[in-house]
Amino acid sequence: MNLDTKNEITWCPGCSNFMILNSVKKAIKKSKIKNFTMVTGIGCHAKIFDYLNISGIYGLHGRVLPTMLGIKIGNPKLNVIGFAGDGDTYSEGLSHFISAGRYNSNMTLLVHDNQSFSLTTGQVTPTSQQGFKAKSEPLGNFNTPLNPLKLALSSGITFIARCDSKDIDHTAKIIEQAIKHKGFAFVEIIQTCLIFNKEMNNLSKYTYKVNNSNMKKAIILADKWNYNSKKGKIPIGIIYKEKRKTLEENWPQLKNGR
Amino acid sequence: MKVSVLIGGKAGQGINKVSQIISDVLIKQGHFTFNYRDYPSLIRGGHNFNILSISNTRIGSHESKVDFILAMDKNTIKIHKKELKKEGIIISYEKFKDLGINLNIALAGAFTKILGIEKKYLIKEIKKELNNPESIKAAEKGFNSQEVKFNLKKQNNKIKIISGSQAVAQGAINSKINRYFAYPMTPATGVMNELAEKQIKNKFMVFQPENEIAVVNAALGSSFAGANTMIGTSGGGFDLMSEGLSFQGISEIPLVVYLSSRPGPGTGVPTYSTQSDLNIALRAGHGEFPRVVIAPGDPKEAIEKTNEAFYLTNKFNCLSILLSDKHLAESEFSTNKKPNKILKVIANKKLPGKSIVKASSYEHDKFGNTTEDPKIIKKNQENRLKKYSQIKTEAKKFEMIKIYGKRTSKKLIIGWGSTKGVILDAIENTDYKFLQILYLMPMSNEIKKEIKKAKKVVLVENNLTGQLGRIIREKTGIEIKNRILRYDSRPFLCDELRKEIRNKLK
Repeated sequence: MNLDTKNEITWCPGCSNFMILNSVKKAIKKSKIKNFTMVTGIGCHAKIFDYLNISGIYGLHGRVLPTMLGIKIGNPKLNVIGFAGDGDTYSEGLSHFISAGRYNSNMTLLVHDNQSFSLTTGQVTPTSQQGFKAKSEPLGNFNTPLNPLKLALSSGITFIARCDSKDIDHTAKIIEQAIKHKGFAFVEIIQTCLIFNKEMNNLSKYTYKVNNSNMKKAIILADKWNYNSKKGKIPIGIIYKEKRKTLEENWPQLKNGR
Repeated sequence: MKVSVLIGGKAGQGINKVSQIISDVLIKQGHFTFNYRDYPSLIRGGHNFNILSISNTRIGSHESKVDFILAMDKNTIKIHKKELKKEGIIISYEKFKDLGINLNIALAGAFTKILGIEKKYLIKEIKKELNNPESIKAAEKGFNSQEVKFNLKKQNNKIKIISGSQAVAQGAINSKINRYFAYPMTPATGVMNELAEKQIKNKFMVFQPENEIAVVNAALGSSFAGANTMIGTSGGGFDLMSEGLSFQGISEIPLVVYLSSRPGPGTGVPTYSTQSDLNIALRAGHGEFPRVVIAPGDPKEAIEKTNEAFYLTNKFNCLSILLSDKHLAESEFSTNKKPNKILKVIANKKLPGKSIVKASSYEHDKFGNTTEDPKIIKKNQENRLKKYSQIKTEAKKFEMIKIYGKRTSKKLIIGWGSTKGVILDAIENTDYKFLQILYLMPMSNEIKKEIKKAKKVVLVENNLTGQLGRIIREKTGIEIKNRILRYDSRPFLCDELRKEIRNKLK
């Protein structure tokens, strides 16, 4: 399977999106699954659309999840993988994220979370740390950051994981498991922005690996890091996992494909 | 012969059941009915009423005065007494106080007797609809309480009752719809409910996502994946979808949108009617891209035009908007005419899963890769314009306009959408000509010719600013100053419109 394209990659030199692209290719190849269809949002992450030789939709900002859901409902035989940014998922498209947990459609969402809007040259997102001085927040961000893992847990998402983009092999392994999960899988990938949110770079040294499927423990794990400071440990790996009937299994019209 | 009856009461008392039973009995006797539904935005209590107009020939409107009032409560009499004709009759709930929830059935029975229809036809209908001894007893009690006042002879007509919502759903099923996405919003919800009920039998799926933004984006995903997809909403929801419509324009993923209007701005008047969303149907979405906007005027046209919308959308991978309103969607029409032959809807695009297919919200090259190259951008823009003219050529195969009345008349009425029924009724036995515009985009070149042929022209619209007039002026350079506009959220009444037309075309 050739996943490469000839398009010139226009991410900044050293951007961790290169590493995420690598992890994704590894995971797709290893999964041996075919018929992938991707959806991307709008932002730095979304340039991946031009760098992966698979079918898909370069969607609107914030609308990755409904577009993915539509593809699954339109043809449940397609394996749908979504790429979205933190602004995409937790700001513009937050209602879709919460609802995706309810639907539990069999698809995978990867969130490239660099805690800033970067393609718009540096503004705060819901996961930006307090005090982040950005172009639109010269006084420093006053808002408490959102914890996506806690939100995912309360939204009923059946596969919740966090990765460190710099650990390419571990990220690839988690993405592969997310793809293979029957139900909605959400992978939050911590990445750096070398240009606009340098303060949150170099988080790797705080990370440690976990593999959990217990709800009580998941809440504790999700609470370990508040996206605000460099204090405390950052668990990466599978935070929570459960089996639940998928949207495709529930709807008789989708049971045997369309 | 025309008879009209107003049926009023509180929400939940079963007003619709009364008009349904009476109409069902009547159409089987070969008589035509038109049922106007007037209700505020509440579920129980308040004041609702229907006006059922009965005729021995086709009818598509109601009038300001009624012959009968079937009153299920005191309020109905208080509010509507002034609408009763001089010799009109009120049949009051007071006579049937002991019947409880079967009050409505008794009133239906009473009115059936007045019309001079045999009891057996009424009882047959009650048995079919409700089949319980209490209801049958109530129907008989109502029937026996009245004297025959008319003698409706059986006519040889095969008549069906259908609402605009049912017709749009039928058109979608005729077009082999695979997926319908919608978020509840009056008056578009009728189509969602109708399709939801029929989804298993007809092997398609109705899904209600979290909001209208999800609706339009999910629909584009679904259509991209190869499903024949439609969405539905009203003005507010349509506003939320605007960015998605623009996304359709650049990605060229086929999409059919049903837009059923209610008065705005804002939340407006949720359960009443307007034609004030023509502007957004024509213009919503940033950038410049082709689209089709069609407005059927009655259920038969709603079946046909929904089918044409699917056909054009799939042939050109374009956006088609089917424009309706509360008055067309929720009124119940009777017709003895069969819709046109069903057009076969053929998809015209590559599907993911078979080869690499990329659709994009960015400007893109032919492989779907993002581009900022001015040469490609220019070509893409021009191709979108070219597509518009191709759509226009294809649309000419269909009825983009219709002409009624006296063809040689120099006095012309122009209208679109749900005013069709009332205009046709208002020009009965006159020598006026009526030009109905069904395709608002693309528009027929015949419109200019018709206006030029006429000595006097009047525009009839259910809005404040004459939105059709504006688009006619844009396309033809002709300004129609002579206008009849109604914008109090209520539809035109036949007798009033007849007078206004007479004045304006004098």
